Amino acid sequence: MTSVKIGFEHVRKEFSVRGEGGGKARRFVALEDITLDVRPGEFLALVGPSGCGKSTLLDLLGGLATPTSGRILLDGRPIEGPARDRGIVFQQYALFPWRTAAQNVEFGLDIAGMKRRERRERALHYLELVGLAGFADRYPHELSGGMKQRVAIARSLAYDPEVLLMDEPFAALDAQTRETLQDELTRIWRATGKTILFITHGIDEAVVLGQRVAVMTSRPGRIKHVVEIPPALQSEEEDVRSLPEFGRVRHEVWSLLREEVLKAQQQAAAAGAGRGARVLEDVAHV
Amino acid sequence: MSSLEMLSLLELARGGPIPAVGTDAQSLPTRNFLRPSIRRLAALGQRSVLLIALIAAWEAAPRFGLIDPVFLPPFSEVIAAGWHLAQTGELYDDVSASLLRALSGFLISVALIVPLGLAIGWYARLGDLLNQFIEICRNTAPLALLPVFILLLGIGELSKITMVIYSCAWPLLLNTIAAVKQVDPLLIKSARTMGASPQQLFRKVILPAALPTIFVGIRLASASAMLVLVASEMVGAKAGLGYLIINSQYSFLIPQMYFGILGITAIGLTFNSILLAFERRFMRWKEPATA
Repeated sequence: MTSVKIGFEHVRKEFSVRGEGGGKARRFVALEDITLDVRPGEFLALVGPSGCGKSTLLDLLGGLATPTSGRILLDGRPIEGPARDRGIVFQQYALFPWRTAAQNVEFGLDIAGMKRRERRERALHYLELVGLAGFADRYPHELSGGMKQRVAIARSLAYDPEVLLMDEPFAALDAQTRETLQDELTRIWRATGKTILFITHGIDEAVVLGQRVAVMTSRPGRIKHVVEIPPALQSEEEDVRSLPEFGRVRHEVWSLLREEVLKAQQQAAAAGAGRGARVLEDVAHV
Repeated sequence: MSSLEMLSLLELARGGPIPAVGTDAQSLPTRNFLRPSIRRLAALGQRSVLLIALIAAWEAAPRFGLIDPVFLPPFSEVIAAGWHLAQTGELYDDVSASLLRALSGFLISVALIVPLGLAIGWYARLGDLLNQFIEICRNTAPLALLPVFILLLGIGELSKITMVIYSCAWPLLLNTIAAVKQVDPLLIKSARTMGASPQQLFRKVILPAALPTIFVGIRLASASAMLVLVASEMVGAKAGLGYLIINSQYSFLIPQMYFGILGITAIGLTFNSILLAFERRFMRWKEPATA
């Protein structure tokens, strides 16, 4: 029991979707029979074709939605609603624009009722950890995309959650910023020992960051295969992207993913003249 | 009016107290101090060109006989009439009567309606219940109701202040409801994942996120307050700027009438700049709307 931090047990999630033209509601299966164990302190990357229900999975884990059947365990206890034992980092940063960087980092602590001075101290510590020591009093609109995501990461770390859930956090960033932040995240993960579930659609990113990479199928989302990343690719010193091993693992993940991506594209085309496909996509991302 | 507002918004965006964070800002303090003040002075002159030209035309046109000076007296005569009004104390009575009505009606409306709008925006069911009623009232022009208010509440202060409250209510209510509904769902989601209770969510996310749009409603309401107040003072009052304007016209004291109109403009501008200052104070976090 102790070797499992997050346990997904036959998790299934359905939505009811209104048919085209306001027709009858029909069931739509987003996730089916998800069974997956995340080990304590592990960095697990989750890749899948777009619309496969990755974000739905994260909502379930965050306690914002409940599975239709099956259950999700955190430290052996089923998840009941949102709580500060899980920190979520969103793709669109979700920073509060009326709060400075430090005040944003303080948000979770403020909610928890921590005293002003103490939480300010903590916020400054975590801003330093993500490399934003001098930016405590800047408002989000004064920060670049990469800096905003650093603040969001600091905010999620500040209330010391057991696990960090990241929903394509670097997808909106340019390539250079993304690689820098990937390195930073690995460093932060090593420094804090958090369990991280990292959702992405980037194969390179999954292979660079993860200790294991779970590949999901197209809709309805299932876990197709979990790829172990060899220790050679988890080196702290080397640029792992340049190793021949990297190419091999990357190819393995891509081979697993390719047919799912094709299937997802066919599904989207079959779902009707664009409109229906969009509806499904939207539902899957809610 | 709207172009004037645009100008002051732009000025806000440029001349606002942006904290000096850059490195040259610290290394060149004197230059940094002098430059903006000169630039601001130049900008002021540039912006006032049209206004000065307008006043000059107003002064010159009647004097050169382009317009009948009886109907449009020169600007200086209007100001002289105003000076006379100020000396007799009549101006003070009118301005204070108007200000009292406008301010009390406006403030009562804000105090009542903003909380109501927050509640309607927050509780969807309350919104469904009240929606039809709000739509009907909103589309009934306040001035059309003026005779009703006078019938029910008499010709005194009560009917005028009620008119102001009523006319302020709709822009305030609609903007406040929209403000709450427009809060980015991602921010709510994010706060919920951090364990925020519904009360904390409201106080720490909904309210600050809604504030800018609520302020739009407040500024619209202040304009609406003046409009309705002047109209109701024209119908039945013994003091107030609306009364001054209509009474001067009846008595054929045309310069005095124009001065009353200028007084309304001045009050409107003052209201607006006070509200803008408030807005600037509370929304320093907002991204400046640069061109």
